[in-house]
Amino acid sequence: MSDQRMRITLKIWRQAGPQARGEFRTYRLDDVNPHMSFLEMLDVLNERLIAQGEDPVAFDHDCREGICGMCSLMINGQAHGPLKETTTCQLHMRHFRDGDTIVVEPWRARAFPIVKDLVVDRSAFDRIMAAGGYVSVNTGNAPEANTIPVPKDTAEKALDAAQCIGCGACVAACKNASAMLFVSAKVSHLKLMPQGHPERQRRVLRMVAQMDAEGFGGCTNTSECEAACPMGISVENIARLNREYLRAELCRES
Amino acid sequence: MSRLTSPTSSTVGQKILVACTGLLLCGFLVVHLAGNLLLFVGPEAYNAYAHKLHSYEPLVKVAEVVLFLLFASHIVLAVRLSIRNRRARGSAYAMSVSKRDDRILGVRLDYWMLPTGLVVLAFLLLHLVDFTWELRPDVTYAELEPYEKALALLTSWPTIVGYSVGTIILGAHLLHGAPSLLQTLGINHPRYNKCIKLLGGLFAVVIALGFFSLVLWANWFEHGGGHG
Repeated sequence: MSDQRMRITLKIWRQAGPQARGEFRTYRLDDVNPHMSFLEMLDVLNERLIAQGEDPVAFDHDCREGICGMCSLMINGQAHGPLKETTTCQLHMRHFRDGDTIVVEPWRARAFPIVKDLVVDRSAFDRIMAAGGYVSVNTGNAPEANTIPVPKDTAEKALDAAQCIGCGACVAACKNASAMLFVSAKVSHLKLMPQGHPERQRRVLRMVAQMDAEGFGGCTNTSECEAACPMGISVENIARLNREYLRAELCRES
Repeated sequence: MSRLTSPTSSTVGQKILVACTGLLLCGFLVVHLAGNLLLFVGPEAYNAYAHKLHSYEPLVKVAEVVLFLLFASHIVLAVRLSIRNRRARGSAYAMSVSKRDDRILGVRLDYWMLPTGLVVLAFLLLHLVDFTWELRPDVTYAELEPYEKALALLTSWPTIVGYSVGTIILGAHLLHGAPSLLQTLGINHPRYNKCIKLLGGLFAVVIALGFFSLVLWANWFEHGGGHG
């Protein structure tokens, strides 16, 4: 693999605060190592900006291992950049070409207000989880793991849904800024497990109500979320949420 | 009553209602097309069908009310959801590129459901003006048997243009709508997803071409054959 340094032009959304007017600003980097991750490239830019006495670009990041769900960024119009099933922190500069211009924007959704530059407030997801994304268990010693048998294929499906890292790429990529893939992944993962069964009706109704209250759009089955999801969560989960919702609304016992 | 009305309080419930009404309207399209295809059989068959259908007027009125409610709820709920969906974005992206690689020629019919739906609505209104309300000034409706009326309308230029555009856009609406409504109703499984996509597409094409063929037939075959 080539170690040839790259010249990259960045057009980055800069916005001083939630109420401030934002704008794109252009930065040139002439010495980009192709083995850098996208975030490391931004680190290099920020070091330069700090050395020049300018305000560094604010962006979210944490584990940089593709598992925490903190990194975001709309890169050239695509959530987490051009690669499938890849978070921004795992996207490397070698996937761009020398001389490229890269447009970097924050997630844009009314429910994800911009905090600063590329950082958005994703606490709407936390409030959806608090509304029903849990199972209630008694504290104390952990029960013996195999007391409740779970069929293998059910466990696999639950684990597939549980892969959701809550990054918000689904909302960012959806033309309706809909959070249905996120909510459906959480509803599915808990519903599929026996531990999640007792609260399944209340869960889906409350989580959907909170999703609506946060101002996310509705689903129009464009499947853009599935394509943008760094964890490859399937829209099959959205169909499951719809079934859960119908069942809870029409067939609940109480 | 709250059990009946509460589903409409959420976006998911409203979308399910859009899917249900859409499914029922698809059923109407099938019946309507089947009846209209009798035009191909000849004046006797078509006139007999039309007279039989309208032989008991109270039943027709009930059907009209039900159809009106289906259309109205489908349209009102879909427009309401579309407005909400548009608002949910807030400020627009400077750049937006799909990550889906399974679109045919990159066409995004699913992004055009509101515009295609509104075109179909305009087509529907023209169709009602033409056939139900009989308001077209350029057509003398009196004394026309149903078959003659259909031919007179289908060979007039506003109808040719309106119905050609209308039926093709209806096909585009159904191309996404038919498989999409099944997903909304929770019908999705790897075992039959490919089948749904294929049959949904086939349904859209058959309905669109079926209605469009009536316009073609009236102008090129029947008209050319000297009956019109």
